Amino acid sequence: MNKEFKVLAKPYMVWLSILVFVPILAMVLISISNLDSSVSVGELVISLNHFKLLLESSTLIAFRNSLIFATATTFLSFVFGYFIAYEIKLSKFKNKFILLTIIILPMWSNLILRTESLANIMSENNILKSILGFNLFGNISGTWMAVLFGLVFTYMPFMILSVYTALEKIDFALEEAALDLGLPPIKKFWKVVFPLSLKGVVTGSIMVFLPTLAGFAIPKILSRGQIVFIGTIIENKFVYTNYNHGALLAVVILFFILGSILLLTKFDKEGETLL
Amino acid sequence: MKKIILMAGLLSLLLVLSACNSKPKLRILNWGEYINDEVVKNFEDEFGIDVVISVADSNELFYSKIKSKTTAFDLVIPSDYMIEKMAEEDMLLTLDYPKLPNYANVTYMDGVEQIFASMTDTTFERTGATIDYKAYAVPYFWGTFGIIYNNRVDGLEEALYTNGWEVYFEADNYFPTARRGMYDVPQFAFAAAMMYMDKNPNDYSLANLDLVRTVLETADFTEWGDDTLKRNVEANNLDMAFTYTGDYLDRLYIQLSEDKTLDEVRDEFDLYIPDTTMVFIDAMVIPNTATNLDAAHQFINYLIKPENAALNAEVVGYAVATEEAFDIIMSYLESEDLEKKNWAVANSIYYNMEVERTYYPLTSLNPTDTDAIGTMVQNVITG
Amino acid sequence: MENKRATLKDYGYRDFTVMNKIYKVLKKFFVVFIIFGLYISIVVIAIQSINESRIISEFTNVSFKWYTNIFQEEELMQAIKNTFLVSGIATILATFLGTFFAIGLYALGKKVRVIWMLLNNVPILNADIVTGFSLMLMFRLLMVVFPNIFGLFTLVMAHLFFTIPYVVLSVMPKLKETDPNLMDAALDLGVRPYKALIKVVIPAIKAGIFSGMLLALTMSIDDFVISYFNTGAGFDNLSIWIYAVIGRRNLTPSVYAFSTLLTLFTLIGLLTYQFLQKQKKGKKNEKNNINGRTS
Repeated sequence: MNKEFKVLAKPYMVWLSILVFVPILAMVLISISNLDSSVSVGELVISLNHFKLLLESSTLIAFRNSLIFATATTFLSFVFGYFIAYEIKLSKFKNKFILLTIIILPMWSNLILRTESLANIMSENNILKSILGFNLFGNISGTWMAVLFGLVFTYMPFMILSVYTALEKIDFALEEAALDLGLPPIKKFWKVVFPLSLKGVVTGSIMVFLPTLAGFAIPKILSRGQIVFIGTIIENKFVYTNYNHGALLAVVILFFILGSILLLTKFDKEGETLL
Repeated sequence: MKKIILMAGLLSLLLVLSACNSKPKLRILNWGEYINDEVVKNFEDEFGIDVVISVADSNELFYSKIKSKTTAFDLVIPSDYMIEKMAEEDMLLTLDYPKLPNYANVTYMDGVEQIFASMTDTTFERTGATIDYKAYAVPYFWGTFGIIYNNRVDGLEEALYTNGWEVYFEADNYFPTARRGMYDVPQFAFAAAMMYMDKNPNDYSLANLDLVRTVLETADFTEWGDDTLKRNVEANNLDMAFTYTGDYLDRLYIQLSEDKTLDEVRDEFDLYIPDTTMVFIDAMVIPNTATNLDAAHQFINYLIKPENAALNAEVVGYAVATEEAFDIIMSYLESEDLEKKNWAVANSIYYNMEVERTYYPLTSLNPTDTDAIGTMVQNVITG
Repeated sequence: MENKRATLKDYGYRDFTVMNKIYKVLKKFFVVFIIFGLYISIVVIAIQSINESRIISEFTNVSFKWYTNIFQEEELMQAIKNTFLVSGIATILATFLGTFFAIGLYALGKKVRVIWMLLNNVPILNADIVTGFSLMLMFRLLMVVFPNIFGLFTLVMAHLFFTIPYVVLSVMPKLKETDPNLMDAALDLGVRPYKALIKVVIPAIKAGIFSGMLLALTMSIDDFVISYFNTGAGFDNLSIWIYAVIGRRNLTPSVYAFSTLLTLFTLIGLLTYQFLQKQKKGKKNEKNNINGRTS
């Protein structure tokens, strides 16, 4: 590629540098000081006062909830998602694009509407009950099962797409060779296919884990306010204009995100195959 | 190359077009679906002003949007305690009453007058300054808080009317299997618990914070939410919920439009207003970021007019602030239109000021206290 | 002595036929379960959109009035218009800019490129709430200079922030796949570099640009958290409006109608696109066959 085009990248490099680092710096600064719209630069006090928030029992429990649900969601998305991706790969259907479309289509509906509908049919008396006469989901609204169900089926498409992309790239010749050498199909899968698709699994896992960890809309609606996530607390802080505390919690989440990015670089040296 | 220039040109044209608009604009910040679109349209037609309404769902969000000045709103409709806070922080402009001629022809309802007086009192106690809030605000809707209850549960109604707040909070003693819901605003939860203990809900102290925490824990709430509370009691997914009276009327009105009678609805779910309860008022104020003061005053003046206030209330369902507007609604008691008649009956029952009650409007607490209450509630929910 | 005949089992062959049958049944069951989980909420939304009653826990009669009512609901129409406006502008800009940025980054050479691609991934991986919150803080600092900044401008900027990386990510692999000789050939023939870029490279990476554009559009249209923190001046998009309205009053069922329509249109749109692609391929094959080529 002609070296002349290097200049095209320059604006983007400036853009990324500013928009990635400046907001994060602002956030870190706000989390460790009393910077506020009412405080001028002269009155700035750096203090670790806000860190007391981290020791509140509600904060710790919220963190625990977020981590547990994020892990569980990622695991279930992996199991279900990998299965579907593999089935699509194997399917004799000529047009895989249509199959993928069917998977992505729900994502085009507004997330809040979808979640509210789920909350609706998970309650004891709901619209499906009035049509069908019985309750499809039992009465799980407000419980962890409702939240888990909502989270898994909202974020599974990401996992499916990632895994499918990785699976598609596997040269079929490799599989044929494995079969020729006498491996039964199951072993072929575990020893040849799965390791080659690992990159897709890791990418997909990160794309499920991170939004679940930091999200608040889905848990709030499906748990009827009962199960508190770290995102719920951050949103509360924002609504009650306590930016300092909110920033602090957001910074903590940022550590997780940076950790995940580093993990991703281990699996994908070029950082170019998230999709 | 040509295509790119054409596209860029179209884009800039789009951006420019979206920015300019020849009609004068009135920017309002309001609660979600808290205004009758018909009223807005009539106003726009009569005055030739383009009304742009933004929506927020909490007073705190109103405050942060005005404070951050991200938009130059001309008119805002916050609640009492937030008006107090904004006035104290010099975020409001005083109203130019000569521009509000309709004001001379209306009388505020007694409850509204009580609220204004109470606001002045609590402000005086807190800061020593005497502020007449009528200088800043014209009432929009007001209302009480009550307990929406599921009348399909045997004996619940009786228990509530006999024992009041106890039935709601003491889950061990009354209806242990009942599903209780509480509003998602920490200060409301605090206030409700305080009133149950026969205390003034505005009396914040660390000792009270602890007491409230115990009370909230014994209540063992099934749900913390806002809009979902009223819908769930209606749908028989909750048995008791502490909400706005207007929330109940909101659902009542919808049920009535589905051709149910008032009695049928009340048999399924009804509203109990305790002897000690919260009141609130939402009023129109002009923030100091306003650019179109004339239009703002015109809008306020328009809504003072009883006919418009009554029309607005038809859709919103909360209580009108002026006696004249209330009289218009009461005239529907004789109406042929069954819907209007039922609505009038409901209004006369739930906004009946003849009954002796103690009303407390909430005041604004300082940020540290509000935060402490918020953290306490989070601790109750998670623990 | 009995000659034991070696069975297939001794050779290492294991009979999977029964297990296979069970597996096949389980598979079908699993697929149905997953499709159910993915689509149940969409189906419920569709049911709510044809429910005559406004009460979402009861189904009374079938009625299509909420569909015709969409245009009457002012707040809903405004939110919809805003969503399309913001997402439209952001998608077009992101596709445009993202493609050229990707080309620029590709020209940088591998070592430098890796670092920037890492930064490129940050907006994608960063939690909505962190991005939204931090961008808002930064814009508020800028408000000192530009007091009216919040609104369409900040919203588009925020959307660009998380959509451009998706376009870059879609285009980059296609760039890597293009034959470098193509560019050299064009230059040898005397074409100026930028013209060559447009006439040679862009068509070659068309597929990447298109999928990047689709991705950008999808992420932008449904965004809630980032828009929530970065809007102003009445620029509430659909997600924000729904969240605010759910907070205080009943949702107008016209929203459900709109959502169902959007889903249907998207489905039809994507299927039509596929159909057209097939037609194109068919015609191409025909042409090739006539000319005696095999591909």
